[in-house]
Amino acid sequence: MRIETLKAGETVLYSGPLCIMRDAAQKRLIQEMERTGKISVDLEGRIVFYAGPAKAPPGYPIGAIGPTTSSRMDKMLEFLYRRGVLATIGKGKRTPLATELCVRYRRAYFVAPSGAAAALTSKIVKASCLAYPDLATEAVYAVEVTNLPLITAIDVTGTDIFSL
Amino acid sequence: MTRFSEALVRANTELDPSIREHLERYQGPFADILKENERIAREKRLPLCQDTGLVECFCTLGQSVALEEPLQRTLEAAVANTYGAFPFRDSTVAEPLFRRTPLKDNVPPVVHLFQTEGKMLEIRFLVKGGGSENLSRYYALEPSAGVEEVENKVIELVGDNGAMSCPPLHIGIGIGGFSEKAMLNAKLALTYPLGTRHKHPDYAQLEERLLRKLNTLTIGFQGLGVGPTALSVHTVYEPTHIATLPLAIAVDCYLNRKGVVRFED
Repeated sequence: MRIETLKAGETVLYSGPLCIMRDAAQKRLIQEMERTGKISVDLEGRIVFYAGPAKAPPGYPIGAIGPTTSSRMDKMLEFLYRRGVLATIGKGKRTPLATELCVRYRRAYFVAPSGAAAALTSKIVKASCLAYPDLATEAVYAVEVTNLPLITAIDVTGTDIFSL
Repeated sequence: MTRFSEALVRANTELDPSIREHLERYQGPFADILKENERIAREKRLPLCQDTGLVECFCTLGQSVALEEPLQRTLEAAVANTYGAFPFRDSTVAEPLFRRTPLKDNVPPVVHLFQTEGKMLEIRFLVKGGGSENLSRYYALEPSAGVEEVENKVIELVGDNGAMSCPPLHIGIGIGGFSEKAMLNAKLALTYPLGTRHKHPDYAQLEERLLRKLNTLTIGFQGLGVGPTALSVHTVYEPTHIATLPLAIAVDCYLNRKGVVRFED
């Protein structure tokens, strides 16, 4: 994805890999880094989707899925950027800290439609658990998506659609 | 409890028709996928939202009903069976602070029990997501506070944070009682049907005025500025202490997944 050229408000239909993780997995990654100096998931070049899937119905690689509130994880955003995460996807307005970090690291934040989980399920073609299966829905998952509708919410210049 | 289980599945997979009308009129960002979602969820019995909530039950039990087991146990079994059988999400953890170990089958539900006369049982319930729950607020207002202060608290809360909780929102307001009763009433208010008003004219006017004011905030669907900001405001009041004016605000996302099941003899 041409992250550097995207402007806040621009829509994107994203196809490609995503790394799904949310509050608990990020907290554990940070604790792991503090304890051992390394982490069990390579985050370099990944796009992180803040989400926790429902149980998969028969015939689907993953269950109903959709973005969770991003601002809850703003304090852990720099950790992700420093390990090479390219962008994050979630829902809702973030704190000024997130905007500042997007500018400093030249990274973007996207919003995905929330409360649209049944429709988004069909956009996920492949899924596997990358780490922390004991966290159940909060484990780290690698997924492959096709035509996931997104809106650029914070671009690399720090323009934020929620503050326009 | 089959009827309660069926109502739980319905709340998770079928959008309330009066909310669907608002969705159908919406033409802004993500309009197509939100409408597609409503249809797919209904047709394939998939959850409207991956956050299939914590189930909150407000039960009114007639005094002459003798139950075979505690209601908490019956409801917990019903929630476990339903969430075990459908592709919903198990969103509960066993302990909130130290370990947060995930639990299976989305138990326990939150159960509140009230008593009334006669031989009946009414269960009102909410399927309440975490994103909207994080906007719950309690304010210990001074007893001399006026209605403007109440309105300002609601407007300020939604104005600052409404975009995070999947608007257009439903607002429940509990006024009076003591702190915990006010919050309980705010939650109970979220179970009331769209378009209904408080029977006390002062509170009915407060609800209407707040709904009007909230909709001038132009937060819109998904917080992206198009469409309504709030779909409903309901209030519940209680007597209170001379020194207090408790105000609790509870917020629900646009789906407002809820139901009422009544058993009568």
